[in-house]
Amino acid sequence: MPEAVSYFFMSWTSPYLLFLTAAGTFAGIYVGAIPGLSVTMAVSILISFTFKWNVNEALALIAGIYLGGVYGGSRTAILLNIPGAPAAIATALDGYPLAKRGEAGSAIGLTTVVSVLGAFIGIFALAVGAPVLSNLALLFAPRDYLLLAIWGILLVGSLSGKSLAKGVFAGALGVLIGMIGLDPMTAEGRFTYGSVQLTSGVPYVAAMIGFFGVSEVLAQLHFLHVTPVKQDVRRIVPPWGLLKKHLPLAGRCSAIGTVIGALPGAGGDIAALMAYDHARRTTKHPSRPFGEGAYEGLVAPESANNSAVPGAYIPMLTLGIPGDAVTAVIIGALYIHGLKPGPMLMIETPHLFWFCVGNLVLANLFLLPLGLSGIRIFAKIVETPKAILLPLILVLSAVGTYAIENNPVHVYWMLAFGVTGYFLKMYGFQVGPVILGIILGPLIDVSYRRAMISAADEPLAFLAEFFTSPISAILVAALAITVLSQTRLWAATVGRLRRAPAT
Amino acid sequence: MTPPERRLPGELAFVLFLLLFGATALWQATSISGLGSWSSPGAVPMLAALVMLVSAARVALATLRRPPAEVPSGSSLSREFAHALLPRVVVAFTLLIVLYMFALEPLGFVVSSLLFLVAGMWVLGSRRIVYNVVVSAASLAAIYVIFQTAFSVVLPAGVLRGLL
Repeated sequence: MPEAVSYFFMSWTSPYLLFLTAAGTFAGIYVGAIPGLSVTMAVSILISFTFKWNVNEALALIAGIYLGGVYGGSRTAILLNIPGAPAAIATALDGYPLAKRGEAGSAIGLTTVVSVLGAFIGIFALAVGAPVLSNLALLFAPRDYLLLAIWGILLVGSLSGKSLAKGVFAGALGVLIGMIGLDPMTAEGRFTYGSVQLTSGVPYVAAMIGFFGVSEVLAQLHFLHVTPVKQDVRRIVPPWGLLKKHLPLAGRCSAIGTVIGALPGAGGDIAALMAYDHARRTTKHPSRPFGEGAYEGLVAPESANNSAVPGAYIPMLTLGIPGDAVTAVIIGALYIHGLKPGPMLMIETPHLFWFCVGNLVLANLFLLPLGLSGIRIFAKIVETPKAILLPLILVLSAVGTYAIENNPVHVYWMLAFGVTGYFLKMYGFQVGPVILGIILGPLIDVSYRRAMISAADEPLAFLAEFFTSPISAILVAALAITVLSQTRLWAATVGRLRRAPAT
Repeated sequence: MTPPERRLPGELAFVLFLLLFGATALWQATSISGLGSWSSPGAVPMLAALVMLVSAARVALATLRRPPAEVPSGSSLSREFAHALLPRVVVAFTLLIVLYMFALEPLGFVVSSLLFLVAGMWVLGSRRIVYNVVVSAASLAAIYVIFQTAFSVVLPAGVLRGLL
């Protein structure tokens, strides 16, 4: 235990780590706030720069950016009605009407405080829940990992886009890309076509930067001429009465956010929308009707999306399964640093876990003062024209991709993935499941084959095991519900149940 | 009920391409280790390609059911495609990225990036040349210093070898 405490406070007592966490949080707020710059994009670009650092330093910077970035999206959502990040889409619904009433200052203040509160609740759940889940994870058989990985891709594919088929396609494409290279079990080449380059697989940092960075830049070219509106902000620190009134709602939504964050694949954007929906259904007397500047409509998504951040760390640190797109990128980083995310991580390197928890607490503490200040300068930076911003993002992407192996070929990969991602995006496919597929593909491959081999290559015995083991059966049920909830039959049944009089 | 959305120009072709891609991937996956075993190296690639093929077929069916893309008289589908999906700025900027990639090693990071930034900003509509050059140079200096010192990334020196 004393060791855990010392690792918990490691980033608090080292001036350099303290600085990196603060710098990360600060940078995250701005990255998150600038429309077109997403946290996922920033983290994937940064991963390639920090891979020569030691792992604690890289994690400190990334935790700050992640937490700050998810929060930062709310600022532009409130001030400009442009969500800076997908997690802030729900925030704009009531945040912008508040700004139009001249209450942007108190809206930002309240948002900051509930975001910090939400993240603390999520961190608490991480500290308490992860060790428990980690013990449970040791009981997981390969087929359970297979189910978890497929469930993660499906969740993100079905919840984030409009069409389940498109989400499934994107996920399967990712898995296929993840298969390229030498088979880890037999060292046979797959899709390598005699190329030596391809035997080591597709460089996934290039894929991440291509799909999240370059494709986004190309898509943003369609919105070059959207001019931002100026806003007036004076009073920032929210009055205690306003805060106290919304504490119970913030607590409930943080719980929702933590759980959604902890589900594989689903992150802050979905957590925020579900929390907003929860607030709309449970608040009987909102301060104003929802959609017209209700503070409830601000508190709910903002406490939820920040609590989803530590939530997403839970499956990442215990199972090696990403909780959302950003943690998928962080898992990639952990591999680069020679660590193997999975159930053995907490046993072999418990210090890493307590370091992450302590570091998240620290980043969250920085979020409060940083979130309540600098709004004026902020307004200036957000007004940077896209014509200036987009070429700069591209240079960063190219350098980031190049830096991994000093290999110009990776930059070509990046552009190829970027252009592919652009077309997928334009035709309504999500790129998130592709990346999740690339990261989870090898896990799916190995888990599936181990499970099949342990069933003596008998498909029937293999299938039977999914229903005889309790853990597998629960996961199968979760998977089935995810798929069924996307069908018309389900929507019709739920609609009928809702309409039926409650007796 | 709202009428279903029209197809985007080129959407049908793109979806059919995905279908073809899925089929090719499946064919290529079966050639990895054949159909002999359920746990062969080719098993998951085949399953993934099969899932791609089936989901692409579903997307294709859904796309076919929607009314075709609107083509005003005097225009053509390919022109509408170029207008909606590949406006001039996207094409120009992508070409610029390609040039930048090829120039990165021979010219070096600093020179090629500066050229790319200045040209890129101009292509995207920022016509204040002096301002563009100043912003590009300042941000490049910052990027260069941060990356060489904090991240210890070795960037190609190119024509400035020996100077930096």
